[in-house]
Amino acid sequence: MVLKWWLSASALLSSMTIVVVLGFLLQSSWPLIQQQGAAFIVGTEWYPFESLYGMLPALIGTLWSVTLALLIALPCGVAAAILCAELLPQRVRSTVRFAMELMAGVPSVVYGLLGIWLLLPLLESQLNLLTGRTLLAAGLLLALMILPTIMVLSEDAIRAVRQSQREAVKCLGIGWDATLWRVLLPQAWPGIRVAALLATGRAMGETVAVMLVVGSIDRIPEPFYNFLQPAQTLTSRIGREMAEASVASLHWAALLFCGLMLAMIAAAISLLTHRKAAAV
Amino acid sequence: MFRCWLSMLLFGVSLAGPLHAATATIKVAGSTTVLPIVAEAAKQYRVIQPGLSLTVSGGGSGVGVANIEHGIINIGMASRPLSDSEAQRLHTTTDVIPVARDAVAVAVSKAVYESGIQRLSLPQIAAIYRGEIRNWRELGGLDAPILVIDKEASRGTRHVFSSVVLGSARARAPGATIITGSNNEEQAVISRSDQAIGMLSNAWLNDRVRAVAVGDGENAILPTAENVASGRYAIKRDLNILVPKNSSDDVRGFVDFLRSDQGRMIVQAVGFHPVR
Repeated sequence: MVLKWWLSASALLSSMTIVVVLGFLLQSSWPLIQQQGAAFIVGTEWYPFESLYGMLPALIGTLWSVTLALLIALPCGVAAAILCAELLPQRVRSTVRFAMELMAGVPSVVYGLLGIWLLLPLLESQLNLLTGRTLLAAGLLLALMILPTIMVLSEDAIRAVRQSQREAVKCLGIGWDATLWRVLLPQAWPGIRVAALLATGRAMGETVAVMLVVGSIDRIPEPFYNFLQPAQTLTSRIGREMAEASVASLHWAALLFCGLMLAMIAAAISLLTHRKAAAV
Repeated sequence: MFRCWLSMLLFGVSLAGPLHAATATIKVAGSTTVLPIVAEAAKQYRVIQPGLSLTVSGGGSGVGVANIEHGIINIGMASRPLSDSEAQRLHTTTDVIPVARDAVAVAVSKAVYESGIQRLSLPQIAAIYRGEIRNWRELGGLDAPILVIDKEASRGTRHVFSSVVLGSARARAPGATIITGSNNEEQAVISRSDQAIGMLSNAWLNDRVRAVAVGDGENAILPTAENVASGRYAIKRDLNILVPKNSSDDVRGFVDFLRSDQGRMIVQAVGFHPVR
């Protein structure tokens, strides 16, 4: 009885928290919406001194850095997962997995510093860039950070494919390639999808590491797909400007609106994850 | 989202340092330009007053002013004068005390300096930051695009630089390539590049980060101590501390120490010019 009561109280409290958080974000950013309507969301100029709070540059920056990270980390992560789950002997497998779990535990600011001292000079010299602080740098760094999530969860999904199915395929004399493409990956796909969605959430919310390498300039790259230019993400903007905005000013409201947008995108992603997971 | 807050929180805590109270605690925060002076003074003052706990952290002038206004810290650091609205809110409660004079150097990478860019006029610098000049060749240097470094809008260095060079403390700089925060961050970018220009406090110049003379032809002035003291160098400012009028004796004691002869020596040792 007591246990049941405690369980439901905890569950209720946890779910209330998200309502409070979203409510706080909405309430705090309300003055901006009230004053400027919703047009600023697609505005291209962010300049707090002139009350210009265009969200588009940072939105595009966030979108690009996350897309790049997924494009890099998803194929690598899934490939590593296949290798670990199907081909490697047990001892090597656990070593790789341990390394991945360790990687997931490294604090993001460490990745940021690694980015500054290793990644940026490398990009500058190899691609002959004016500055290595680009969307590509952010994407590469984020890829490194979400790789463990994708790899570990995908491996679990592949290993969860029933042994009887593998045996059946073997009995039919089907080769390993076909087994992989026709049986293992389709069966594991829902799990891999969840891994990708979780990783997206993490990449989107990452602040410090991105802030250190993205260049932090509120400008849409020219042309917009040029990921070799410096840019801004929603999180790095909040990280850089939160301290300077005076509480309850319009600038403050705009920064919290950045937070609200991140929260809403994250909510959409987890709804998606939830539905896919339920469908499995 | 939550992760983002959490990392911000942790970041903030790590910046603020250990805030737990000893017997008496003086918290100082704000401009990273003023920080080396106060940090060194705090180190020496702890020897005189071992019972006192002094924590000095950065954040930028904007943070120093805002935190003093909110009563979070005991002494604020600002590398610019207060804006009109700030002065209006704070003038009855807070003293603005200059502790040093500093020049904002127009700093370029060593390679740029050695390719012949050793002086720039104010209109040339403005044209670079407005995006009208994009290649060092146009100024007589190597054929290389200019890496134009701007600073976060709340930074005192930017206020001073922008008001002298671009005509207003809040002017836009459409020519900027990237935005950096602290002096250290900007210094690192300039020293690792061969094409960079930026605005830096005098104390952060070194072999790889060189100051150009500012002005026309023979009248170009380098930000040396004499030129800053005489007022001939154009991009200059007072480095201030903000002290609430109702401060405790502990805080007053530290402020007096900063303005003493020993304090002046610290100012000079760190690379700034003391104020009489």
